[in-house]
Amino acid sequence: MAGISFRNVTKRFGKTVALKNASFDIQPGEFFCFFGPPLSGKSTVLKLILGLETPDEGEVLIGGWPVNHVSPADRNVAMVFQNLALFPHMTAGENVRFPLTERKIAEDKIRARVEAVSAKLHIAHLLHKPPAQLSGGERQRVAIARALVRDPVAYLMDDPISALDARLREETRVELKRIQRDRGQTLIYVTHDQEEAMSVADRIAIMEHGEIRQVGAPGEIYDTPVSRYVARLLGAPMMNIMSAVRGDGVKAADGTITLPIDAVPADVSEIGVRPEDLKVEPWSAAHAGRPAKVYEVEPLGGYTVVTVDTGAEKLKALMRGQPDIRIDSAVALSCNPARAHFFNQAGEALGL
Amino acid sequence: MKRSLPFEVFRYAAIFLALAVTLVPTLWMVSMAFKPIAEWSATGADLTWWPKAPTLDNFRFILGTSTSDLIVALDRTAGKPILASLLSAVFGTLIAMTAGTAGAYGLSRFGSGQNLPLALIQLRLFPPMAVMIPVMIMWAFFGLVDTWWGLALIYGIVTLPFAFWLMKTFFDDMPREIEDAALVEGCSRMRVFLKITLPMMRPALASSALFVFILNWSDYLIALLLTTREWVTIPVYMASLSSSMTGQLYGAKAALGLIAAVPPVIMGIAIQKHLVRGLTFGALKQ
Repeated sequence: MAGISFRNVTKRFGKTVALKNASFDIQPGEFFCFFGPPLSGKSTVLKLILGLETPDEGEVLIGGWPVNHVSPADRNVAMVFQNLALFPHMTAGENVRFPLTERKIAEDKIRARVEAVSAKLHIAHLLHKPPAQLSGGERQRVAIARALVRDPVAYLMDDPISALDARLREETRVELKRIQRDRGQTLIYVTHDQEEAMSVADRIAIMEHGEIRQVGAPGEIYDTPVSRYVARLLGAPMMNIMSAVRGDGVKAADGTITLPIDAVPADVSEIGVRPEDLKVEPWSAAHAGRPAKVYEVEPLGGYTVVTVDTGAEKLKALMRGQPDIRIDSAVALSCNPARAHFFNQAGEALGL
Repeated sequence: MKRSLPFEVFRYAAIFLALAVTLVPTLWMVSMAFKPIAEWSATGADLTWWPKAPTLDNFRFILGTSTSDLIVALDRTAGKPILASLLSAVFGTLIAMTAGTAGAYGLSRFGSGQNLPLALIQLRLFPPMAVMIPVMIMWAFFGLVDTWWGLALIYGIVTLPFAFWLMKTFFDDMPREIEDAALVEGCSRMRVFLKITLPMMRPALASSALFVFILNWSDYLIALLLTTREWVTIPVYMASLSSSMTGQLYGAKAALGLIAAVPPVIMGIAIQKHLVRGLTFGALKQ
């Protein structure tokens, strides 16, 4: 178990900058998640930790030691690759024991370790088969077993469960978190699924264009995103972003929402409201401003997604239960200014 | 899909025609190999697909166990040429495959030797005759003329580009993550190549080797120029099967041709199951 740190690490491939001046510290025993759209530099971070790539600038530290010139084999980091990368000419069992036989571990120890890990991942009955004869989910578990079989300083996983169907993914996700907590191991996880990132990670690093935009606990990033980009990346449905106009109050979304002027920072350009913070009520004479129109209602049982058309934008509201709201009816929108997010022209978050 | 009748007729005619071009000469050779001398150049009604009096005389003749009624006596049998062909083609293939695989791996993985592809193919850019004259002189200087190893060496060199190009496409298609995984799990670079890459490449190696072997096996020109007596190969030997009395010894040639067809066919059958199987079958998610 060891922490992993980057100190101003930059990596270029030809002219493209895959990772730009990245610095972070992953604590020992932490479940750390890199999250961002494709090609945002997530996989490059993993390759730099593994030693499959060498940084152009800066330093990679594992357990406090610089490892820029240490070979992948000597870094003692385990990895589950995105495409699994099983060895097709070996059986599942040979795949799982490979990391141990390569390190010349005694045969009785190998047998015990393989037995333990295959019991935990329910693959004991598959070990004699070649990967070609396994289903997608089984291959996934074999690949994870190959990483878990030894005792590395950290586990790295590059979107390891993306090939599974939704239900199996949720199960595997819970299982992974459980195994990680039991072992108290450092686990670095890369995903492009925001729900997965939020649910498993102790801390998340949000990436964009090879840069780390924000690092923090999932709840912290969700509640206080540093930019519009980060705000839109976490949460489903996405945060509503409306352009703001200052008058006697601050009007947003074509005047359908009005916030008191002293609750809004001066140079605000856009206001963001999470769907669960957007309040939708039937329109009555008592309401000021302008009404919005209900565009679509999606009842999901426990809650309902209501899309409203303000004329300028379409906003989504998440409402508890199954509210009695009809399509095309006029509604009044409001939100608690304390729950609203404010962004300037550049998309940076503003505080009061 | 339902096709119109004229189209179907045309389709089968085209298939038959394409097959006829390759099958008729082959079948004729098989038939000829078993025909006695009287039937070799029969005409009219005597010209049949099936030998009227099937015989193994042609085989006995070239293998030197009998001169039967051919009257002519051969100055040598087919035994040594078959050995010469086997030795030169097998070792030539080994040379080409070893060097080609190593070069292709280096270029595919590490980008080393960017000019290698062109450099390798330059022997093929010129008419063979133009290249072979200097080779003859060099081989004579090194004492390699009329030896099977001298022939194997030049076979290895001229088929190297094919081995290289074929293996390069296979290496390019192999997912790098599989090698990365082995590196991370404790292998050195060399060990990754020997334990992971080469075993995975077995089907690719087999099909490339077959292709290269067939090229070497069927060479006539190089062997004609670089061998004189001792290590003449099958094609060169075959050309000498004629006599002033009987002209071309068609039956003997056909018998030798049939023997020459055996090694590539056996190799092809042996690796057939590799040819249809994908390289990385089962390694990846889907």
